[in-house]
Amino acid sequence: MLYRRRTLDLSRGALETPVLFPVRNIGKRSSDNTPEYVGTIPEFSVAMINTRSIRNREPMWNRLTDGVPLRKEMDVPEDTIVFADSGGFDFSSGDVDTTPAQTLDTQRQLDADIYGTVDLPLSRENRDAENDRRVEQSTKYALEASDLHDGDSLLIASVHGYDPQTVRNNIRYLEKNGHFDGYALGSMVPIRTDYKKVSKLILAARTATDKHLHVYGLGGLVYQPLLLYLGVDSFDSSAFIRSAGNRNYLVPGFGGEALRNVESMEYLPCPCPVCGQRCLDDIREDRTALTQHNLWALATELRRFRYVAESDRDIEEYLDLRFQGNPVTQRAYETAKQQVRRLS
Amino acid sequence: MNDTFTITDEQQDYSQYDLDANPFPYSPVPAEDPEIYCGQPHVTEKISSTVSSVLSTGKSKHLVVTGKYGNGKSHTLKYTRSLLRDRDDVVVGYVAQPGEGFLDIYHEFIYDLGFSRVQEIAYEYLAAVTCDITDENPTGANEMESLLDDGEILLSEIVPETIRRLSDVTKFADFARAIVHMVYEDTNLYAWQWLTAEGIRYEQRKEMEIHSALDDDTMGVRAFTAMKNILLDLSYTGVFVFVDEFESIARLSPKNEQATLNSIRHLMDQNSNGLCMLFGCAPEVWQDVMSEYHAFSERIGQEVALRPLTTENLTELVEDYLSRERTSAVPDPAVRPFTENSLELILQRSQGNIRQVLSVCSRMLDNAASESQAEITADFTQEHI
Ligand SMILES: [Zn+2]
Repeated sequence: MLYRRRTLDLSRGALETPVLFPVRNIGKRSSDNTPEYVGTIPEFSVAMINTRSIRNREPMWNRLTDGVPLRKEMDVPEDTIVFADSGGFDFSSGDVDTTPAQTLDTQRQLDADIYGTVDLPLSRENRDAENDRRVEQSTKYALEASDLHDGDSLLIASVHGYDPQTVRNNIRYLEKNGHFDGYALGSMVPIRTDYKKVSKLILAARTATDKHLHVYGLGGLVYQPLLLYLGVDSFDSSAFIRSAGNRNYLVPGFGGEALRNVESMEYLPCPCPVCGQRCLDDIREDRTALTQHNLWALATELRRFRYVAESDRDIEEYLDLRFQGNPVTQRAYETAKQQVRRLS
Repeated sequence: MNDTFTITDEQQDYSQYDLDANPFPYSPVPAEDPEIYCGQPHVTEKISSTVSSVLSTGKSKHLVVTGKYGNGKSHTLKYTRSLLRDRDDVVVGYVAQPGEGFLDIYHEFIYDLGFSRVQEIAYEYLAAVTCDITDENPTGANEMESLLDDGEILLSEIVPETIRRLSDVTKFADFARAIVHMVYEDTNLYAWQWLTAEGIRYEQRKEMEIHSALDDDTMGVRAFTAMKNILLDLSYTGVFVFVDEFESIARLSPKNEQATLNSIRHLMDQNSNGLCMLFGCAPEVWQDVMSEYHAFSERIGQEVALRPLTTENLTELVEDYLSRERTSAVPDPAVRPFTENSLELILQRSQGNIRQVLSVCSRMLDNAASESQAEITADFTQEHI
């Protein structure tokens, strides 16, 4: 088992890992309308934001440069820990409209605690040669950022690759040639249904470095336990917002369920501060409540895993149960288990 | 309970003959890497001159070794292969028999090189590219692999250039990609299956961006030539292919036989440099090929025949084998415990067939040891043969 607990020393305080960074939609919309969670869900005094979207949202950017602090703009406490990724995923199609220097400037301006380097995500359809070019370009961007970076914030290099060799090679190359506080594996979203491949790539990254390892975009309910098992230190997810938009209700240990499938229930099966006291009809009408519940579901999943680990229960046994319901994730977990055991 | 069997791990005692063990093979199938070769001088000379000419000029040259079953064709080819394999400037592949056509010859050749060797070739090529486009100067496959493992070199930087150059050198982009995929743990088995012409599923091909299937003789010739060109580009002097039991093409349908011969002819025509093919073939089949397929025989031209062993050959062969296990200086006679007469009888009975000679010698020596015979006389041989 590669699951591990660490502490990240940040200027705003210590951050216990593993941790989930909820993705905030600030910058994507005129204002951040992610419902309140910082302060209500204790372990989520954190947020993942998109550097590029914020910079490109002119009125907001003007406010920020005029002296409004980001955390005030987001309406969160001053000590909220912010991970600012480059927004590379928006370059999947189209050209890169920023430079490592510009991105770093913006990240500084936002007073982010963790910076993600500029990257060019791979796509499943891209030909090998094109993907190789993107991998190389992202690596060069990361090294540029490393040269320009100074300060207390952590610099996390974005890493891409659709095979274990490339991922491993990339991390070791960056380790040799730059200064990074950790690595973040990107481009996983387009291949997220290929659980086996994703597990292999994560494992390649985990074994290539002992530093902080983040995985972009896979922090949903199903992936979370797998990521924890594979020793990932942090991940992010917008699943709670997206699911709520689709009127999907996340249930820890199960997955998502469309609310219309359970219409006749009076109370939902969750004791969280949102669902515990309110009936289904009430929640269905309230998208904010649904979003908040979904985030509680992610928190519960994480807490449950930690509980199994801390109480010295057999994690593999727990995961056997956890993945039993779905043949695809079950097979992926079996493969991951074999690979992890081979490492010990 | 009866004891029909006596099973023991006790060794026969051969010390009375100044031998540590019975040096003759129990089963006279040619060893994979024969240490002893009792070559007939005209054959070894011909092979040496053919091989040397390829090595010194780089020009292709081919040779057929004919001989009846058991006269040592395989042994000759395998011995030559073992000598060549020690050189690090050539690549050698052994094909036990031509199978159903050229694609099978190609398959066997790549298979004989083996997965690791082909992977090594891929790393060697990456190393060559690395030397050209980076500050690092890896000298071989292992060093290249470590540079990648350690992150000294960025894989994604050298791979596109490697594919570009390999495509150029081979004129076969799919082959180039397959070679490069030999270094990726996720795809190297698929790449290997494609390279050996075993066939892979369309999705697996697609994952490597390989568009064609390697599934007929024409593609086989193309792939073989591609591999040879890669090797020459890596400064290897030549590629040696040993095709044994070539006589088995006679059991193919006339159409397939013709197609196989034509493919080999095309291969030779497309590779005027750096290729040496040695065939082992029964004389009667070679006669037919010569008379029916001029285009083919013209390109090989050279033939050398293994003859049955002579008394002199036999004596030398037995001496060579015995000397492997001698515990003291060479006794007199050097063939002790065999006598001249017994060897004469063995030669007669085996009709000079090396395979039978070895098998009889092995048996005689065991019989003599278990019966504590000081000598293997003609009478003793007569009795036990
Ligand atoms: Zn709830």
